[in-house]
Amino acid sequence: MDKLMMQRRDAIKSLLAISAASALAACTGKTEGGEAKPAASASLKYASEGNFLNAYEMALVAALAQTIIPKTDTAGAIEAGVPAAIQGLASEWGDDNFRKYTRAGLLALDKYFKSVGGQAFADQSEKQRESLLSKYDADVFGGKVKDDFYRNFKSTVATAYYMSEPGASEELIYEAVPGDWKGCVPFSEIGRTWAT
Amino acid sequence: MADFDVIVVGSGMSGGWVAKEMCERGMKTLVLERGKDIDPAEDYSDMLDPWDKKFLDRVSPDEAARDYARQKDVYVFFESTKHLWVKDSDHPYETAEGTDYEWYRGYHVGGRSLLWARMSYRFSDHDFNANKVDGVGVDWPIRYADLKPWYDKVEKFAGVSGNNDDLGQLPNGVFLPPFELDCAAKELQAKIAENFDDRQLIAGRVANLSRTTPEQEALGRGPCQARYHCFRGCSYGAYFSSNSATLPAARQTGNLTLKPDSIVHSVIYDPKAKRATGVRVIDRLTKEMRIYTAKVVFLNASAINTAAILLQSANEDIPNGLANSSDQVGRNLMDHVAGARASAIVDGLDDRYVYGRYPGQGYIPRYRNYPDYDQDYKRGFAFQVYTGRGSWTGNRLGVGEQFKADNRKPGPWTVTLDAYAEVLPNPNNRITLSTTQKDKWGIPLPVMDARMGPNEWALLRAASKDAEDILTKGGFSNISMSEVQPTKPGNRIHEMGTARMGRDPKTSVLNKWNQAWDVENIFITDGAAMTSSAIQNPSITYMALSARAAHHAADLIEQGVL
Repeated sequence: MDKLMMQRRDAIKSLLAISAASALAACTGKTEGGEAKPAASASLKYASEGNFLNAYEMALVAALAQTIIPKTDTAGAIEAGVPAAIQGLASEWGDDNFRKYTRAGLLALDKYFKSVGGQAFADQSEKQRESLLSKYDADVFGGKVKDDFYRNFKSTVATAYYMSEPGASEELIYEAVPGDWKGCVPFSEIGRTWAT
Repeated sequence: MADFDVIVVGSGMSGGWVAKEMCERGMKTLVLERGKDIDPAEDYSDMLDPWDKKFLDRVSPDEAARDYARQKDVYVFFESTKHLWVKDSDHPYETAEGTDYEWYRGYHVGGRSLLWARMSYRFSDHDFNANKVDGVGVDWPIRYADLKPWYDKVEKFAGVSGNNDDLGQLPNGVFLPPFELDCAAKELQAKIAENFDDRQLIAGRVANLSRTTPEQEALGRGPCQARYHCFRGCSYGAYFSSNSATLPAARQTGNLTLKPDSIVHSVIYDPKAKRATGVRVIDRLTKEMRIYTAKVVFLNASAINTAAILLQSANEDIPNGLANSSDQVGRNLMDHVAGARASAIVDGLDDRYVYGRYPGQGYIPRYRNYPDYDQDYKRGFAFQVYTGRGSWTGNRLGVGEQFKADNRKPGPWTVTLDAYAEVLPNPNNRITLSTTQKDKWGIPLPVMDARMGPNEWALLRAASKDAEDILTKGGFSNISMSEVQPTKPGNRIHEMGTARMGRDPKTSVLNKWNQAWDVENIFITDGAAMTSSAIQNPSITYMALSARAAHHAADLIEQGVL
């Protein structure tokens, strides 16, 4: 059991390291080795060994995720490792269809936010991101704009966040071993949504 | 001299019980399991926190399509549980033209007892009488009184939590204290009581230990921790499975030999003695063929595989397959049928919530065609009742702090009535063996040919109407109805009927002791034995039949008859 706990801690540590890198990329839109550029098309080229999404795409992922779930009194998406989880899905989990779909969807969002915001989403101020994404989100959920990629992306961001340790146990409430079942208790005794 | 007193083919729900009872009677027992052994430390994923689950616990689309084309649709199929379901790519089957069959399986020690939904409802005499009353199928050779002591025995050992609700159509049992219904279910329960005389919502009877008995503790089982990880395997042994209960009990006797990775190819038959002498087994890994002999053979391979083994055992003396002079082996393949659902929101409970995760669900027992047969369709239906309060979701309007705040508050309480209806025995619904296709062990593939018929449609239409009526009269809001569409055969994972019990060797495969009419030392106590499906989730009935038949066979061995 102790060994398992140690492995778990190590895993979390490495996840945090990855998300810190993503956070950095999100702030600068740049990566080691110079100016990052968006991939020219929805090709299936891997950015580097093991990583499908390149630094530019990851900056967009991180910026979108952190705008959907910002840091408040609890972790935001980046601190919770959401961008790394999305990289994992695209790089290791998905099939070529999924990869194509992800890249094309991100590029379309990139293009849209450039057109309405004057620069790449990741380079915009926090305030501008929130205002532009709120409007776009309202258009999608209000049925004015059809964007299934955005809906799926948002849903994945939420899942990755609420399944993360800070998302589950700090933002929400999580009990690995409740020990007991009570079917009808005052909400005030629990206080927030169960993570699971 | 036979190698063993008894060979049990299959280590799942029913095979585990035969093994336990036989071992406890002092019989040298060999359990053959076609799949791998299970190591809880390795194979159970119940100790994983959400953040330890790889890829958000989703199976990659490539892998799902390639290896799990069928199993991927199971409701508990996840990255961390996929190894408990077969790879369809290794275990294909065929379906007759114009039909489809969903066959969900786990090939490993414990079989689907490790994966089941744990609902445990006894059959009543209304069920045992059903075929006789309306003339569909053959009459069950037993009645409730025959099985009652065995239901008592298996419930006491397995541990079933529930209430004695004093219902004629759903007999009382030997229960541990029930798990409490949640607020929404209680509300629905009260509304039904207010509006209907003929129906009621009860706490689901579920094979999770709300409390433990000394007997269960001695097997290393602990009480349910309300984690709802049951389908992951339970390190506490808190729900009934072969792995947590029957196999450990069998092992304690010193009489058990368990051989995983042992695929039974066929039963060896001596035409002169009209007896089985043993089984031919193919090693799953080396493909080497071995023979084991025994005085008695129990087939507990699950309804489809049990029938397939009998058919596969055909030779020139028995060209139609073993124990098949009736031509009923493989026929009357049943399942249950769902496909009529109604959901609604329960208002006024925003200040209430739950603690822990409910291992059960509510249940509305059958009430149509009970106590009298007064409908223009045959048989009846029950409702599985799913209730709960909404959770977080990414599928909602808003971003930023507001999005977080919205998800911190749980969603509305909802209730869903999910109809579960009886499927009639129909000799045309059957499994046969492919004449052209074999699996990688050289065994012919099963071919399923089954359809839902007009009575199943009629039951679901009636259930849909009733569900809407229950929710409307209850005053619930946002009522939404699913389109009535029967689930495909196999979808409920209750395959049954392919070697039915009966009163006449000409029209049934097994007698009232689950003993093959044609071969007196073959017993079948898995779903294959079922003469009708009733509505109840069937596992507890398989367990009772298994324990009963095992003791009968042990008696016959001791008397020197077998």
